[in-house]
Order: sequence, then C-alpha cells, then structure tokens
Amino acid sequence: MDTLVNVAHGFGVALLPVNLLYCFIGVFIGTLVGVLPGIGPISAMSLLLPVTLSGTPESGIIMMAGIYYGSMYGGSTTSILVNIPGEAASVVTCIDGHQMAKQGRAGPALGISAFGSFIAGTFALIALMLVAPKLASVAIAFGPAEYFSLMVLGLVVLTFLTQGSMPKALLMACIGVVLGLIGLDSITAQPRLTFGRMELIDGIGLVPVVMGLFGVAEVLLNTEQAIKRDIINTKITHLLPTREDWKASAGPVGRGTILGFFLGILPGGGAVVASFASYALEKRLSKTPERFGHGAIEGVAGPESANNAAAGGAFIPLMTLGIPPNVVMALLLGAFVIHGLQPGPLLITQNPGLFWGIVASMYIGNVMLLILNLPMIGMWVQLLKLPYNILFPLIILFTILGVYCSSNNVFDVYVMIAFGIIGYFMRKLGYEPAPLVLAFVLGPMMENNLRKSLILSQGDLWTFVQRPISGVCLVFALVLLIAPLLPSLRKKRELVALDEGA
Amino acid sequence: MNNDTNVKLRLSNSELWGGLIGLALGGFVIWSGMKLKLGTINDPGSGYVLFYTGILMCVFAGAIIVSAVTEGAPTLASRWENVRWSKPLLLIACLVAFSIALEPLGFLLSSIPLVLLLLRLIDPVRWTLAIPIAVLVPSGMWWVLKRLLLIQLPSGLFGIG
Repeated sequence: MDTLVNVAHGFGVALLPVNLLYCFIGVFIGTLVGVLPGIGPISAMSLLLPVTLSGTPESGIIMMAGIYYGSMYGGSTTSILVNIPGEAASVVTCIDGHQMAKQGRAGPALGISAFGSFIAGTFALIALMLVAPKLASVAIAFGPAEYFSLMVLGLVVLTFLTQGSMPKALLMACIGVVLGLIGLDSITAQPRLTFGRMELIDGIGLVPVVMGLFGVAEVLLNTEQAIKRDIINTKITHLLPTREDWKASAGPVGRGTILGFFLGILPGGGAVVASFASYALEKRLSKTPERFGHGAIEGVAGPESANNAAAGGAFIPLMTLGIPPNVVMALLLGAFVIHGLQPGPLLITQNPGLFWGIVASMYIGNVMLLILNLPMIGMWVQLLKLPYNILFPLIILFTILGVYCSSNNVFDVYVMIAFGIIGYFMRKLGYEPAPLVLAFVLGPMMENNLRKSLILSQGDLWTFVQRPISGVCLVFALVLLIAPLLPSLRKKRELVALDEGA
Repeated sequence: MNNDTNVKLRLSNSELWGGLIGLALGGFVIWSGMKLKLGTINDPGSGYVLFYTGILMCVFAGAIIVSAVTEGAPTLASRWENVRWSKPLLLIACLVAFSIALEPLGFLLSSIPLVLLLLRLIDPVRWTLAIPIAVLVPSGMWWVLKRLLLIQLPSGLFGIG
C-alpha cells in the first residue's frame, strides 16, 4: 500500500509540466546521441551536467536519467540501419539487426527492439520500486568497511570487464583514485598534490575530466578516419512485429529482461555486459543457433531488452547505497552532489519526492521513447545523414562552453583540453578511460571509508574480512583479480570485455 | 601482426613506454604520499592512501612492462598506421592555441577562429558554409549565455564579449 502511495506521489512530481519537459529533453537527447555513432550517453551527460544546475534537482536528474535510458533505445536504430553501433550497448544488435534490415525486415527489427526495450524498461522500473526501498533499509546498517569493500568490488568488476589487459585497467583505476584525492584532505584539511595552485585546492572537477576523456578524446579519435555510412535506403514499413515475430521474441525478451536487470545491479556491470550476455544465452538456448548472425530476430530482441533492463537496474546501487555501479551512474552521482544531495540509504526517506519522482519519470520517459522511436523513426534516419565535419567542431565548442559554465573558471577549460589530449593517447595505447573515471568518483569515498574503518577498528585489518558483506565482496574481488591468470577464464574475459567509451 | 609491428625489447615498443610512464607516475605518487606523512594504521595520515596506491601503480606498471618485454607489443608507429594521424594532431594544436589565446583574447575572438579552423581541418567544409557557422554559432552561444543566462564569459584584454 505504501508503495502505491509513494508511486502516486512520484507521478505527481513527474507530471509537473517542467519535469515533463526535462524528461522529454532527456529522452530526446538520449535518442539523438544513441543514434549518432561516436557520441555516447557519457559524452552527452557530461556535456549537459552543467545545465542541470539551472533547475531543481528533480528536473536535472530526470533529464540525465532520460539521456541514459534514451540512448539505449536510439543506439539500436543505427545498429540496425547502418551497421554501426550508436553506443556500446548496441554493438550486438548490429549482428542480426543489420542482416534483418538487408533482408528487407528493418521494420520488424526496429519494432521488436523498441517494444522489447519498453517491456524491459517497465519491468526494471517495477523491480526498482520494489527492491530499492527494501535494500535501502538494509543498507542503513552498512558501516565504512562494507562501503569500502563494495567500492573495491565495483572497481575490480569494471576493470575485469574493460577491454585490454587487466593491469592496464587497474593502473587506470589507481590513477583515477589519485586524481580524486587532489585537493584538501577531508579529515586533516591538508592540501594534497595541488602544486601550490589555488584552483586545485577544491580538487579537479568531474565535468572537465569526463568531458575531456570522453568528449574531446572521442572527437580526436573519430577524426582519424573518414566515417563511412552504409545506410539502408529502402522505406521502413511493418514496424509492428508479426505474430511469428512475437512468438520467437517472447522468450528472449523475458530472459533478456531478467538477466539484464540483475547484471545492471552488479557493481561494474551494466548495459553493455547485459546485451552481450543475453546474445550468448539466446544463441546457446536456440534450437537453430546457425540462424544467429544471419538475421535472427531473437538476436535483436534479447540484447535490446537486456540493455534497457540493465539501465534501470543500475539505479539500485546508486539510489540505495550511494555507490555508482558504472561510469554513467558516476555522472549521475555528480549531478546529485552538484545539487547538495547524497544518494544512499536515507535518500528515499529524506527525499521521497525526488526518488519516486525520478522513478515515475522513467516510466513516462519509456512511453515517450516508444513514440519517439516508432512513428518518428524517419526523422532519426534523416539525422544519420548529418555531416560529421560540421558536428565535431560544434561538439568541441559545446564542451568548452559546458565546462566553463559549470564553474565559471577558465582553468577547468585547460583541464578539459589536457584530459582530452591525454585521453586520446590513452585510447591509442589501449588504456580505457572508464576505470579511471569511476575510480576518480569513488576514490575520495573509498579513502574516507578506509580511514574511518581503520580508526574504528584501531588498525585491525581483519575488520574487512570478519564483517560478512565486506568479506564476501573482497573475496569476489580477489577471485576476479586472479581469474585472468587462468587461460580459460582469460579467454572468457576477452569475450565479454566491453568498451564503455563508445 | 608482422615482426615490424610486434617488437619485444626495443625502444619503439609502445607497451613498454606505457608501463614506464605508469612506473614514473607510481614513483611520484609514493614520494608524494611519504611527503604528506603516512600516519599509523590506527590513525592513517593524509599520505596513507596515496602511498599504497602508488605502490599498486608500480606493481601494475611492472606487470605491463614484463608483459611488453616477454610477449612483445605493437610499435608506437604501428598504432598510427593506416589512419589520418595528421587530423588529430592538427586538432590538438588548435586546442592548445585556443587555450593560450582564451584569456588574453576572450571567448569570442578565440572561439570564432577555433571553430573556423576545425571546420576547415577535419574534413574541409566549403568556405561559404564554414564562415557563417564559425561566426554565428559562437556569437549565438555567447548571446544566449551572456544576455539570457547572465553568465560572464572571458572578454580578454580588448573587452570584446
């Protein structure tokens, strides 16, 4: 009953005209960046992070969340029609989606992708409504040791799933922690790594770091090659899947939804892993696995449902524990902090309007996305013809303005340009920026919780192992650290390794 | 990958350079941690986490170096093979020039040439389109930010913008 009252309260907040507008802007931009290859939700969210300052916390976070799950919808359009993933979670959709389009079945592929996404998104939201308050009440009992170990697990899982060698990803995570510690020590107020510069006393901002690593570096990388596009030019018809299509897709949508939701909750996981896992699962369960790769609708329905369910599931650790499970959620945490809010176990009780408003807006956003992605598909197809040589300079200009406006400080523009250049060389040498950014956000929290637990336990390191939740997290983290040393597990890791930056 | 692009103990080994940079950074972080005081395990100081993170960085950088030397890695040049490497290089030069010019010239006088250069450098947009975009977009953004949102952008020594 309480849940129903809260949901009604949430819809009251989400249906306010200003929040509806922000929700629409969010899902629209999300679909836009999902459709455009080369620009992912991370770049778009970092670009718009300063914009959230102008409105209420609800409006800003509703918009940011909309960009995330909106990009999951939009990404499939480009994968199906152009065979280029609009964003990383739609890589798998290219395999069968584009084959379907080549066979003249672009309509059903786009249709099942949108309906599957809607069903999965709806399920994830209902599960979020039911699970989050319960988990939050348990999380109140978490101490600094549990928080520290959970964050360590999150970072290790992300480094495990990142493309390239694990030592490289772990090195990136360590650099992220160090960058996060720049500025005043929160306990002793001693300046650290500031090199005597006043601008660094408050630390490096999340916005310039992320915009540099994901926005500027992405543009630099994209200019290396002329982007060629093989757009399916035939008219897209029959967007509503047939009875046979539904029959073939029902199982993959259901399984993809459940799998995606749980993978989304796991720290370090997310939409990309979920879509790959769902594709592998469907291929394994299929009686005719040879159809996969040649236009099997199950290969579109499963992964597209999984990535949307994961996008919803990823909100659980952020909202209930205050721990972002992936880089996108780390940006959302940044948006919360900018507004003076701390997501965690007390968020739901202290700010019920905010929590339930965001959840309700996500449902409204899903309905908006269904409308945006089916009847208006022609508009997105036209957008795929937008010339990149005009788009990229404008992205650079908007990142500069976005960074400057977030702090009114020219120094942040320098930081962004520096991180853009560093990010480009990092990517060229095979160092992924995702672990760095997550560690940058988690670093100060990790340090704080580590020092607090050591002070509370009077220097007893066993406290991290003796407390059950903390112990389990550390054991899992250790297993994942050792796993790449075993050849069979190393091969499996390479199969699921993801590129968060896309 | 052929023998020319996959090398072991050579200065052109790109992974070796990556590892060495990581090792140097790790060493610097350890030194910074020690300088800030480690404290004790009962009461960790400001440099405690930095010190141990620095050690971890050295360990991981060491692992990268060992793997680069034993398994071999692509050369630095091969990382830029078959790509238009001059494009990102020019873009970087533009961004560095922009960051030098931003404070003395102000937002408008530095961003209009930046956008124009980028439009002409990436995949040249014709002048008749590039010039209006380069002038109108930064000016439009400046007007929205300054007049509507009351955000003061850098106006430089000439006070333009």
